[in-house]
This record gives sequence, structure tokens and C-alpha cells, in this order.
Amino acid sequence: MLNILILGLGQCGNRILDAINREAFGSGGTFAKYYSRQKFPASVKTIAINTAVNDLKELKNTLAKDRFHVPHLHGVGANRNIGKQVFEENKEMILEEIDKRGSFDLIFVITSTAGGSGSSFAPLLVGELKRTYNAPIICIAVLPFRAEGSIFLQNTAFCLRELVATKSSGILLVDNQYLKKYSGEDIKSAYDKINTTTARRILFLIEALNSEMLMVTDLGDLKTVMSGGIGVGTMGFYEASKGSTIKSTILGSFKPSGLLFPANVYKDGARAMLIIKGDKKYLDLDLVTKTVEELSKEVGQVFKGVLVKKGRPKVLSLFTLNAVPELEKLYTVAAEAIRFEMEKREKSKKQLDNAFAHIEDLEPIY
Amino acid sequence: MKGCRILAAMVLFVLIFSMTAAADSINTTVDVNEGIVLNGDIHLEVLDVGTNWGSYAKLKFYSYKDAGGKTESIYMGDVPTTYTSGTFMKIEVTLDSISYDTAFLMIESTTSLKISDRYGFEGEDETEKEKQKPITVPKLGITRTFDTNRAEQGQTIRTTLTIRNTGNGTATNIVLDEDTITGAYKDGCPSTIDDIAAGETKRISYDLRIVDAQPGTYELSPAILNYESESGATYSSESSSSILEILPEEVRIPELEISIDSVKGIITCGDEFPVTVTITNVGNATTGKVHVKSDLPADVRVVDGDLEPEYESIKPGDSEEYDVSLRAYEQGKHTIEMQVMWGDSEAAASFEFWAEKSGLEQYYLYILAAIPILLLLLWVIKRRREYSY
Repeated sequence: MLNILILGLGQCGNRILDAINREAFGSGGTFAKYYSRQKFPASVKTIAINTAVNDLKELKNTLAKDRFHVPHLHGVGANRNIGKQVFEENKEMILEEIDKRGSFDLIFVITSTAGGSGSSFAPLLVGELKRTYNAPIICIAVLPFRAEGSIFLQNTAFCLRELVATKSSGILLVDNQYLKKYSGEDIKSAYDKINTTTARRILFLIEALNSEMLMVTDLGDLKTVMSGGIGVGTMGFYEASKGSTIKSTILGSFKPSGLLFPANVYKDGARAMLIIKGDKKYLDLDLVTKTVEELSKEVGQVFKGVLVKKGRPKVLSLFTLNAVPELEKLYTVAAEAIRFEMEKREKSKKQLDNAFAHIEDLEPIY
Repeated sequence: MKGCRILAAMVLFVLIFSMTAAADSINTTVDVNEGIVLNGDIHLEVLDVGTNWGSYAKLKFYSYKDAGGKTESIYMGDVPTTYTSGTFMKIEVTLDSISYDTAFLMIESTTSLKISDRYGFEGEDETEKEKQKPITVPKLGITRTFDTNRAEQGQTIRTTLTIRNTGNGTATNIVLDEDTITGAYKDGCPSTIDDIAAGETKRISYDLRIVDAQPGTYELSPAILNYESESGATYSSESSSSILEILPEEVRIPELEISIDSVKGIITCGDEFPVTVTITNVGNATTGKVHVKSDLPADVRVVDGDLEPEYESIKPGDSEEYDVSLRAYEQGKHTIEMQVMWGDSEAAASFEFWAEKSGLEQYYLYILAAIPILLLLLWVIKRRREYSY
């Protein structure tokens, strides 16, 4: 059985982690935690790490002992510099807390790239974990709404760059901006839906990695997939409807509507992993093989795993990309926002200096 | 002779005095072979005077319409001798004293007395006198006493006859004639009695067994003694009648009562509780073998002691008491029934009590039902704490 550590950093990471913990209870609903135990498909340890204690308090399905507060008042105020400083001051304590969970075969680090604690902790923590654990570390990086503000955009820009620089096993992108248009609901519901979707796909992946499959794909394959392209990818998902063939189901998982990040996987895909789960009667292995072969011609190396379980076929696709045009757009917007912010600040400073200039030769008289 | 004249003068004086005195009591002297006529009706003649067991005077009474009259010896100190004439004039004569041939008499009457005549008569000759001289008269008096005047059936009454000869002669051929009540039998009562000498007192005791006499109050007729003097004269005397009460025969039977006592209030199911059974003989006879039987409710068990003991006998007024420990298992009203049997009789008693289950037992189902809820609640609290930060 795989030993898997899932770390949720910052408010966003905490909430996705909480969603994973909730989904692990199954379909018991809100009260499942009072009478049921989490049924992770592997030996999963979770830790929610945050400098904002209120964010930790808001978690509903994560054990208190799995919530780790890094003491720094109430968050770092989206300031990554402060966040990094806080991490450095407390990294021994954080690593010690992680170390209590034992050894791991796979580590997920879930964070928003836009916030303070998560975006500043993630690159540093990945670096520390790489030094400490000989386990693949996959980052789940959540990109913000583009309109959330310039600070979040610049945080995203720098955080992503630093994450890539850590040379982790790979980065899977989740784009709130992209997913919002599919959720079609208010912000809060969209967040909840995005978090739940992300959580379910992570658990799907964990289940596949830890199960005996009809056609096998494993952690080694995952490492190979994640090391493909620029090491950045995303996940897709499709659940067969009545009358769907296994081929259409597999192909469905490549559709943009099923991806967590906007990408043309046929064009930009580097490597892929397909995990097919469903009742044996739906699983035409020849057709699966044939479909994967066809996909391989366009996407590149495609690993496949077939997991026999009751129900209609579900397919999780995991890609790494050779190019990420959407990121380029994001960086452009971010750069503009940073420049705009700099100009605004200089202008403001000038205005202030001018204002102060009025009293430059004067002294207060009492 | 001179003495006789003086005496005669004195008698004459007294006579004159008496004749002139108008009273209902007179004292007079009458010589032997002399008679007086009282109120022209009653003749009183002195036949003899002498001393034999005391001074006496032998008097003869008769009257115009009672020619036969009567002859009687009266003694000094005796009660007055009464004589009633044919015309119903009544006198009482008492001997005051005697001289060698004179009797001093006191005569009393309810009417005025007057000596209307005094006369002399020819006395018996010496030979005849000599023939009669040794005459002795027995006089038996009889009294009857009982040791009790009240008796029950089967009881024996000790009866004593006291016979006293107050005469001067021996009573012979004494025959006792005494009736008794129906259903009573005399045991040891002689029908004839040995001679009783003058002055002798004889006591005869016998048992009167009340066998089957009907209860009630009886008047026993006097006991009659028929006897003879040594000269062959027959006499009779009798006791007074007696009252004898025969009580109804007391029925003597044993009578047992049984009582059951225990703690007051509500018994707790499963707990021992003491029960005291008391058997008392309230009858007037000792019982034979006594058996005790019990009838317990199905869920009541004897924990300690014997609930059905046996006794050889129980005396009147005695009690037998024993304790047992019982235990009731079911909730509700219980009745313990006990019977005591002796001979062909029996007595019963019952004791009711209410048993309730203990709080734990009574509500254990609820408690049992509450446990999972409690555990669930604790589990929920625990889980809530686990997830509270």
C-alpha cells in the first residue's frame, strides 16, 4: 500500500485538502464524519498548514491534529516575502510535524499560487521535502481569478516560476478562472465545486495507483508522465453516459470541458496517463488499447491503467504539456498588473512628496 | 306442812295476782298432778318434773275442742313450746325452773291470758311411774353440705351429711332416705347408718357424680332420716332442701390461629425479605399434631428456613413462631397463603405485599436502549472534538 502525504498550504490548499477528507468519507454527507471513518484508497496522511488560524478553523472534515498553524498573527496578508520569512522561521517545526507522519511514497502539495501563505510556503517547502524525502512530489497549483487583483496575479507569476524552479516531480494546474465558466454559479459555489472536483480527481488517481489493475499503470508511470514536457500539466475527467462507448469515454476525458486547466492536449500534450475505471462489461480492452494507440500518435506517450469497479466507465486523464499558452497570457496580464501597480505607487509617492514639499521649510509653531 | 302452807299461800297470792293481771304473759307455778285452765279454754297440766340431760317438766295440753291435746317435755333453755287450742288460741310455754314437784312456767300469748281455774288430778301410781322412768328419746338433726353448689357434667360433688343426736337416747335402725337429681349418681352413700348415741355427731361423706344431668338449677329434696329409739319408738327428721346448679358441659377443643407478618412497604424484586409466621392456640385444649401448609405465588421462593414445619402439639395459650426468608422475582401484587391444620380442623391466613423491580432492573431496557444512544453521542462528541480546531 502506498503511503501518500497530502499537504494543503494556505487557505486554498486547506480547502481542497478538506474536500479530499470529506470525499474520503464517501457519500455520507455532512454528518458522515460523526459516524464513519475516512476510506482512503491508500495510506493517506493529510496536513493542512496555514498561518491564518481562522482559515484552519473553517475546515470541517480535517482532523484537528492534522491542522498545523504556523504562528504569525492571522496570515501574512498575501505578502509572499513575509510568508517566506515566516516559513524560514518555522520550517523546522513544519518539517517535524510532517516527519511525525512517517515515510511517504508520494507527496502532493496543494496550494494556491495567488495567496500569501500557500504561494510563499510551497516552493520553499517543496525544496525542503525534496531534500528530506525520496518521494515524487507533485504540486497541485491553483491559479486565481484574473480579476482578483494585481497582488494575486504577481504572486501567481512568481510562485509558479519558483515552483518550476524547485524541479518537483511535476505541477498540475487548476485554473479557477477557467473552471468558473463551467460551474456557472456564484463565486462561493464555484470555489466549492472546483475544490470538490479537484479532490475527487486526486483521490481517483490515488486509488488507481494503489489498486491492482486489469491493465497496470503505477507510480513509476506517473513519475514518467509528470516529467514530460515542461513538467506542468493538468487533469481531465469524463464519466460515460448511457450508450457511451469506452472510446468516446476516453476521448471525453480529453475534452476542454473536463480539464482543470485550459489546454489543447492534442496539440500541446507531452505525455499522458489514462486511468479507466468501470464495470468489466463496459471495458472492451481491445478498444481501449486501440484508442490509446490512436491517442499516442497525437499526444505522445500515453500510459493506461484499467481498474475494474462497479458502475459505468469513468476516465481520469493526466497530462504534461510541452507548451502552456494560457500561462503566457497569465504572465502578460500579471506583468501588466505589476507595472501598473509600480506606476501607481510611484505616482502616489510623487504626489505625497509634492504634498510634503509644501512644508519643507516650515517648522511647527505652538 | 308448814312449808306447804307457805308455798300454798304464795301460789294463791300469785294466782290472785295473775288473775287480776290483764296481760299476754304470765308466770305461774304448777305442781305435779295439778292443772290450770287458761281463759277457760286451754288445760295445762304438769305431769312430772325432773332432771335428765337438764331440768324438764312434762306437760299436757288439751282444750275443749282438742281433747286429745299433746304431751311434751320441755327443758329449761329450750325454745318456747307452742300449743294452739281447737279455738285457735295460741300459747307459748317456757320452763323457767323446777322444784322437786313444782314447775315454774312462763306462759305467753298474743291475747290476754287469765288462769280461769286450777285443779288437781289423780297422778300415775309409782309402779307405772317406775315402768316409764327409763324412757329415753333420740333426736337426730341432719344437715347436708356440698363442697360446691355448681358443677358441670362429669364433675363430682363431695356431699357431707352431718347427723347429730341431740336427744337423750341412742338412735337405732337409722335409714337414710335421700333423693337425687336425674343424671346424678351417688357413690359411697350408705342407705343405713350405724346407731348414733345421744350427743354423738356422725358425718357421712359420699361423691355425687354428675353424669348426664341436664343443665339447670335444682332444688334437692331434704334428706330424711328414719330411726328408732331403743324402746322401738320411731322417729323421723330431715335436713333442709339444697340448691344445686348443673352447668352446661364445657366443650374443650383446641383452636389455632395463624398470622403472617413481614416488612411493611414495597419489596424489591430479588431482595430477601423476612416473614414471621405465628401459630397460637386460642382454644382450651391441647392440639394433636399440627401441620403447616403454604401456598406461594409462582415467582416467590423460600430462601432460608422451613415454611411448612410440623409440631407435635400446641398447648392452650401457647404460640409457635418461626421465621423464613423469601424472595420475589416478579413485579406486582403477591399473596402468601398459609394454612395450619390440626385434627380435622384448619385455619388460614394470607399476607399481601407488593414487589417492585429495582430502579436499575425496572428501567434496564431504557438504559439498554440509552447506552447506544449515549455511546453514539459520546462518539459524536469525540468526533466533533477531533474535528474542532
